[in-house]
Amino acid sequence: MVDPTVASASVLAAALSIGLASVGPGIGQGNASGQAVEGIARQPEAEGKIRGTLLLTLAFMESLTIYGLVIALVLLFANPFIG
Amino acid sequence: MFDFDATLPLMAVQFLLLMVILNAIFYKPLTKAIEERGDYIRRNQVEAQERLSKAETLAKQYEQDLAETRRQSQALITAAQADAQQIVAGKIAEAQEEARHQKEQTQKELDQQKQEAMRSLEQEVDSLSRQILDKILGARVA
Amino acid sequence: MLSFIATPDFPLASLEVGQHFYWEIGNLKVHGQVFLVSWFVIALLVIASILATRNIQRIPSGMQNFMEYALDFVRDLAKNQLGEKEYRPWVPFIGTLFLFIFVSNWSGALIPWKLIKLPEGELAAPTNDINTTVALALLVSLAYFYAGFSRKGLGYFAKYVQPTPILLPIAILEDFTKPLSLSFRLFGNILADELVVGVLVLLVPLFVPLPVMLLGLFTSAIQALVFATLAGAYIHEALEGHGDENEEH
Repeated sequence: MVDPTVASASVLAAALSIGLASVGPGIGQGNASGQAVEGIARQPEAEGKIRGTLLLTLAFMESLTIYGLVIALVLLFANPFIG
Repeated sequence: MFDFDATLPLMAVQFLLLMVILNAIFYKPLTKAIEERGDYIRRNQVEAQERLSKAETLAKQYEQDLAETRRQSQALITAAQADAQQIVAGKIAEAQEEARHQKEQTQKELDQQKQEAMRSLEQEVDSLSRQILDKILGARVA
Repeated sequence: MLSFIATPDFPLASLEVGQHFYWEIGNLKVHGQVFLVSWFVIALLVIASILATRNIQRIPSGMQNFMEYALDFVRDLAKNQLGEKEYRPWVPFIGTLFLFIFVSNWSGALIPWKLIKLPEGELAAPTNDINTTVALALLVSLAYFYAGFSRKGLGYFAKYVQPTPILLPIAILEDFTKPLSLSFRLFGNILADELVVGVLVLLVPLFVPLPVMLLGLFTSAIQALVFATLAGAYIHEALEGHGDENEEH
């Protein structure tokens, strides 16, 4: 039988892990996109290159959130603390 | 969710197998095809470049020839024009000369006739004046 | 394992995480659904390659044209990471990584596997199983170790103490975090994508999930690109040594 304390703590931890993990990458992605737009405005002919790099770096930042999501999924679906 | 088992090594082996297969049937032949095409295009381009430069030299030569011919014809025209000009000028001068000559001759004849007329007139005057003189003085003298 | 929400009346919209269709080979257990879809992906790639190279022409058309585009793409990818001089021998590895992950991701997103019933678990992209992504990430690790050793022999270990021996633990740790982050990034992205689509389909079965599905297609493509790019960057780093790398990751 699932211990209710462990279950509720797991649910809370899952919510916190995905929530907190999205804060930093959100700020970072905003910064990167802003700088990219600035770069395109300054140098419109480099747009293709800037966009490619931006997408790649956004994917890297996104993966940080995904790590949080993986932890959340582990807590929800494969919780090691539930017998 | 995180249950590792024999799927992992089998998947790795399978992936390596896929890589070998694709290398044999995809990467090698298509890379060869792309590179051969690149060579073909480069060769053709060099050839076309050569042909283009040849055509350009030919065109330049034609242009030069054309310019040369044009200059020659221009010179010819100029010479002909000058000749014509000369002829015209000569003819005009001749005609003018003749006209002047005729005019002079006419003038001379005119002068001569005038002198002759003058002279006959003078003689007339002379004879007349003698007659008058005779008439007036003759009686007295006689 | 918790089974999420089960709706027996609507078979297209059920979520199953962590359930597998087990095959027993000898006394080994494997995930059958992963292999089924990966065989499909491999068959697709092999058939496309055979169609493309069956009758190679100077002026490409149809399948040959398409596959030449794909080849050009992966060649450029490898060239951008490894440089003009080194990239040729690594094109098959990086290219197969990209093509396999890309076709896997898109096959999971585009083909309605849920119409095919399995006794347990469900068919989905092979890359949403952690075994697949860890296998690929470990292959990348092996590849860059192979690249370093074949280039520098045992001198490859010099890069661990190159600027200063103080960073030795971090350098060693890096060798573990590289495959870990590679595999978790791919696994998490694909699983998250399928989960989001699944949850939305569960809530509103019509039209509403479409934009998320499109976003999922985009993310899947980008993740395949990221995986291949990072593999190339790691191999390049191992080939060039630690000092003069300016790759970001």
